[in-house]
Amino acid sequence: MLKKHLIATLVLTLMASISFSQGKYFTKTGKIEFFSKAPLEDIEAKNKTVTAVLDSKSGAMQFAVQMKGFEFEKKLMQEHFNENYIESNKFPKAEFKGSITNNSEINYAKSGTYTAKIKGKLTIHGVTKDVETTGTLKVDNDHLNAESVFNIQLSDYDVKIPSVVKDKISNNIKITVETKLEPLKG
Amino acid sequence: MKRKIIIGILIIVVICGFIGYRIYSEETADIVNKNPDEITDVKSLIAAFDADTASASKKYIDKIVEVTGTVKKIDTTGSLVLGEEGHLSELVVGLDRRHMKDYEKVKPGSVAVIQGICSGYSKGGGDDLLAALGTTVELKSAGVKNKK
Repeated sequence: MLKKHLIATLVLTLMASISFSQGKYFTKTGKIEFFSKAPLEDIEAKNKTVTAVLDSKSGAMQFAVQMKGFEFEKKLMQEHFNENYIESNKFPKAEFKGSITNNSEINYAKSGTYTAKIKGKLTIHGVTKDVETTGTLKVDNDHLNAESVFNIQLSDYDVKIPSVVKDKISNNIKITVETKLEPLKG
Repeated sequence: MKRKIIIGILIIVVICGFIGYRIYSEETADIVNKNPDEITDVKSLIAAFDADTASASKKYIDKIVEVTGTVKKIDTTGSLVLGEEGHLSELVVGLDRRHMKDYEKVKPGSVAVIQGICSGYSKGGGDDLLAALGTTVELKSAGVKNKK
């Protein structure tokens, strides 16, 4: 009798684990940081309220970032970013829609660290471009830690740098993404 | 006379340079304990955006907002989530760099008063993957307010 109970419990636990491991994962507290090194000034800012969903079954993923959510240390830099460069009132969100192209190589039911190949479309400042990068996906029991670092060119997204400071502000921006995703229930 | 003019110009240049440097190096303000522009609670804030996004945006976005609500999740890397258990519509809070340890003042399930700048609103729709996440209102540069 006890043996039957034990087997039933094990089967249920396994089923629950499989159903989570094949489901969707999400976060609303992801972090995105950007950094640009330039002669005039280093530009860096962080957003701590990034929303993301990953469908582990298909590998489809989506990120959304409110541009006004980026925090700068300098007030003037934050104002210029929102008003002159990114035009946050006109283009309030940046979004990535894509997928993990090697999703079949990731075992969401087994704790471990995997390299994820990511491909999709990144929209910033109302301009959408194809993006291809790699990231690290760490499966840790029931949650996932996803990290990726990639570079974008401001000119690709029609972000205009005033000619007076054109040579002093870098066109190249390093973007770091760090998210801890948990199972999306329901 | 010429010397006086040169000295005058130099003084003006130095003053302008000083003012320019002050403006350039001014840090973003710590607004956590400033007087808020709006006072509300999580449920009313989300309902306001759901009912009329345009007028809620006008009222709250870029404003200092004090919000009371139940803490659902604590992210020790600088974020809090407030809302009702079982509902995915939530207030997501990014803590100000000077208030990164404010998560220690709250516990999951406790009622907290948060103050920050309302930085955005989103509600998924259609076949969007994010649609399942309900309504999300965001605060940045925030902290846990010490109420009298």
